[in-house]
Amino acid sequence: MENLKKNIKDMLESGEIAGFLGLIEEEGHPIPFLFTKDSLDKLDALTVPDIRYPMTDILLKIVRKYPEDTIGVMVRGCDDRALIELAKNQKILSDLIRPIGVACTKEMAEYCRCSQPYPREIHYGEKVEGVKDRSDLEKVESMDLSDRLDYWMGQFSKCIKCYGCRNICSMCFCDQCTLEDDTLILTGQAPPEIPIFHLIRAFHMAGRCIDCGLCEEACPAHIPLRSLYRKVREDMADYLGYVTGMDETERDPLEFLGSDGYEVPTKIDET
Amino acid sequence: MAETEKGFEPKIIAFCCNWCSYAGADLAGSMRLKYPANVLPIRVMCSGRISPHFILKAFQRGADGVLVTGCHYGDCHYIKGNYITKRRVTIMKDLLKFVGIDPRRLRADWIAASEGDKFAKVATEFTEEIRALGPSPLRG
Repeated sequence: MENLKKNIKDMLESGEIAGFLGLIEEEGHPIPFLFTKDSLDKLDALTVPDIRYPMTDILLKIVRKYPEDTIGVMVRGCDDRALIELAKNQKILSDLIRPIGVACTKEMAEYCRCSQPYPREIHYGEKVEGVKDRSDLEKVESMDLSDRLDYWMGQFSKCIKCYGCRNICSMCFCDQCTLEDDTLILTGQAPPEIPIFHLIRAFHMAGRCIDCGLCEEACPAHIPLRSLYRKVREDMADYLGYVTGMDETERDPLEFLGSDGYEVPTKIDET
Repeated sequence: MAETEKGFEPKIIAFCCNWCSYAGADLAGSMRLKYPANVLPIRVMCSGRISPHFILKAFQRGADGVLVTGCHYGDCHYIKGNYITKRRVTIMKDLLKFVGIDPRRLRADWIAASEGDKFAKVATEFTEEIRALGPSPLRG
């Protein structure tokens, strides 16, 4: 921890980074904080707690305000995948971001059912192996079609349309949101139209979702949103061989066809 | 096309691209081919223009089936719109299945401007398939 603090202090003092986005402990609560050269004394309160914040979401706000500054940011495995996706979508410039990687503990990885609880580069913590768990998908897949619909409509009908899932999502960076477009969906009323409200978001997450699971944690109605997004994530891998948050040079096959011909993968052609 | 006393009449939304499928539908008319009036064509410029949200909205508003048609591979007026469409529809079908909507209610097919007979055939086939599946569970 002391090393980490010293590293950040050095980077800030040398001017390598103009700011560092991390978490500090204040009155017993971890809150996000942007360290600058003028607030080095705050580094004492730097903390790496066992909770997660949508760090890249906050980072995006900072980057939009200071587009030319180099910013350091504390990232976990999920935040790192988000950084890769944000760079792909030209929301950030990787050259201007200095990720400080934190590996999650075994307990956290299990709690999050995280398949990759470590970032590309680890500066703090020990790397533990990811958890392979698709029991949430299997639970739905074991039902027949009409039971599935009953299950999901039951879940969706709990929605209070707080937009929590969208607001916390690292991948929801659009300027205009379909969920607020009155030509596609009824706006200005709660509860939302179901299932379209949730399915629009689910489809949008294909080729986007980095499987951090914050949506499900944020949902006050405990709708198992993550299963939906995991499903489309799995489909993207199955049909198109595309996994988000892995390689910055790979493009979303739902948006780009690639340069080596436009062949439709056989697995798709059979459907 | 409300449900008549005779039984269930499916509502089917067909998205047709301007350059191939819509012309194909037009040709079906010129050729005086019959296809069920359950199919309501909506013209879009390219099958790639058919946002997945359109498909979802059709289902939300009570469509029993959605037919997505475009040019054959390699024929797309915009060169590659239909390849993207195929990918989207595939993922969408799987998502629909996952939430309990029969994926057979969504179908993508390629119909050229000269294939009036194919349009009539696909429209008839699809209508019969949806008729057999019954009303959409989202209809209400």
